[in-house]
Amino acid sequence: MTEEVILTAIRALFPVLTALTSLALVPLIQLWRGSKRDDAATYATLGVQFLLLGTSVGAALAGAGYLSTLRIGQITIDPSEPGRLLVLLGGIVFAVIVGAGEGRRAGTMGQIALFGIAAIDLALAIPSGIAPIALLLFASLSISGAAASGKDDVGRARAVFRDLRTVSLLLPAVVVAEILRTAISYAAVDASYATPASLAAGTALGVSIVLIVAAGVFPFHGRLIKIFESLPIVGSLLVAVWIPSALALIVMGELSALSSSITDPLGGAIVPGILLVGAATLVFGAISALLHDDIGEIVGFIAVGNAGWLALAAAAALQSPTDTSSRLIVLPGMLTTSLFGLWLVSVRRRYGTTSIRELGGWARRTGANGIALTAAIVALAALPPGVVLAARLNLLLLGGNPLIALFAVIGQLMLVVAAARLLLIGITPQSQTVHEAETRPFANIITFSLVAGSLFVAAAAAGWLALESGGTGALPPAPSVSPGASFGPAPTGEPSVEPTPSATASPEVSPSVSPSGSGEISPAP
Amino acid sequence: MPGLELLLVLIAILSGTLAVTSASRGAWFAIAILALSSSALEFSIGDPNRIGLILRLSAIGIGLVAAVPENLFEREALRRDLAMSTLVLTLREHPVVVASALAGLLLGLVPLALPIESSSDALRASGIALLVVGLPPLLTSRFIEATTRAAVVTLAGTMLLRTSIFGAIDPLGALAIGAGFICILVVGGSVATRISNAEEER
Repeated sequence: MTEEVILTAIRALFPVLTALTSLALVPLIQLWRGSKRDDAATYATLGVQFLLLGTSVGAALAGAGYLSTLRIGQITIDPSEPGRLLVLLGGIVFAVIVGAGEGRRAGTMGQIALFGIAAIDLALAIPSGIAPIALLLFASLSISGAAASGKDDVGRARAVFRDLRTVSLLLPAVVVAEILRTAISYAAVDASYATPASLAAGTALGVSIVLIVAAGVFPFHGRLIKIFESLPIVGSLLVAVWIPSALALIVMGELSALSSSITDPLGGAIVPGILLVGAATLVFGAISALLHDDIGEIVGFIAVGNAGWLALAAAAALQSPTDTSSRLIVLPGMLTTSLFGLWLVSVRRRYGTTSIRELGGWARRTGANGIALTAAIVALAALPPGVVLAARLNLLLLGGNPLIALFAVIGQLMLVVAAARLLLIGITPQSQTVHEAETRPFANIITFSLVAGSLFVAAAAAGWLALESGGTGALPPAPSVSPGASFGPAPTGEPSVEPTPSATASPEVSPSVSPSGSGEISPAP
Repeated sequence: MPGLELLLVLIAILSGTLAVTSASRGAWFAIAILALSSSALEFSIGDPNRIGLILRLSAIGIGLVAAVPENLFEREALRRDLAMSTLVLTLREHPVVVASALAGLLLGLVPLALPIESSSDALRASGIALLVVGLPPLLTSRFIEATTRAAVVTLAGTMLLRTSIFGAIDPLGALAIGAGFICILVVGGSVATRISNAEEER
């Protein structure tokens, strides 16, 4: 294996390698500090936080260019821009959450986060086929299993059991979608079979069901709520928000490709159906968030609301395959929910309760938590109005149904109200629990990272920072270059590099990808 | 349909049926046999270097070692649970599952529509039969071990059906699906242990 291949492998698999490093690092730290020393867990947490930040920086440096594309025999690992962006932000988000969570198992949670974001990066780097979806689904199951370990809690075990059942049911749905998609090309030439439009509708339904169930869209929200109720917050966010969002990117790419591959309107009532469940999910999540008194459940229902937007985005991807709004809202949604998760873990750690009745005056007592929740509310409302708000409104316009759009807007406003309610409780007179809680001085590294991390993540989620979650879809396959000529121009035979008299074709020029006819789930054009 | 393939199909369907109907020992042995036979069926097409088969068998081996109960290999109990009469009795006690398996087998042998027409009869029939056998308990069972085994049967059936149309899965896919088998077995086993521990404590 040449030095160049090794470097390419490191770039392509950097998050995975970092996650594997943590398996050695944590025991080494414990060996160094002594397993019975109180500070062993603290040092392990610090070490994992450094790895999380390191994987962020490494992913940003390695990027998603052709220099990071690893080819070994038939295997191609081609890191995508969305995947690398998720690693970049995920490293920061989970480093802050692990820091705020503290505790004996914080290091383990950090390791779980490392493996979760590595699985997301790897899944989005696999060009096509069933592998990326299978990888994400099974990563979700193993993360929930790992996060639930540590104590014999029936609630946790049942949440994992529910996850096992869900994952096992979703893979057949993906395979059925693959088979139906393959049939489209046959139907186009043989009138005795179902029409391409109806087969495409079946494919869209199969693929959408994966997103709808995994993301927790109504009426499949129960699994998501159980996860937020019972699993630690790192596991909850990965299983219920981050991995479904990565799945959403794959699904939306597939839906766009599918929709653009047929000329007739999609058969069945697929698009109106998905639009309807999306709007219903937003309203249901918001009403439930307003009615519940447990902050874990409230954050769970805010995540359900986000799942509603994912469903609306899936419908928009089917309606208008070239529009990028559907993929633009994925990243802000997951970052916003993560901010609520960060606030939740910080408040739960400080006050030892999740009951809203016992948390009166929490924001007065711990101002940093107040800043974190305010940042989350600003991100949820996507203020000041910018690209994220525009993308959401565009989704509603693409849906083409004013009533559904109205319901969605009402649902979103109610979600903001439900979040504002949490903040209002924070500025009421202090409850006994809050008054007696032990707080730390404002000037310390955990508080500082909580505030700085919240502001950074809110800026990314509200659209202040120009971060696009693969608005143009996953990167198409990189131009093939021979070893040793990695900075040379792309081969002239590339399909869609426009030959201009003065321009040199650069690796950044993206060849267009047409939908594969083999029935494989493939990236969007 | 060549003789060996037919034999493997029958073994896979029978072991899949026993996996969802038997009690502890019979079911775990049925799962192991199902894994072997379905892997041999799945990777017999167009996979000259057998990397997929090796990955799959290793994955299922690891998963089974991690998931099987401790007292599985007690000689007397093993002899009793794996006796032919016990297995036949088990199948006779679950006529609906046996009928489902047969119906799935017949349904799978009939080419329904393109692209299924061009697919392998043996793989398609065994895939659909395993799906028909595995999906109902996966959806409805309240027992964790039974659900875990149904999940393995369903996944094996899904992959056989897919292979019948698209051919053997690529190495990365084989790795992901192999990891899935490990994951289902290990997570299912640990959840079952945790719930029984919690119930004992209570």
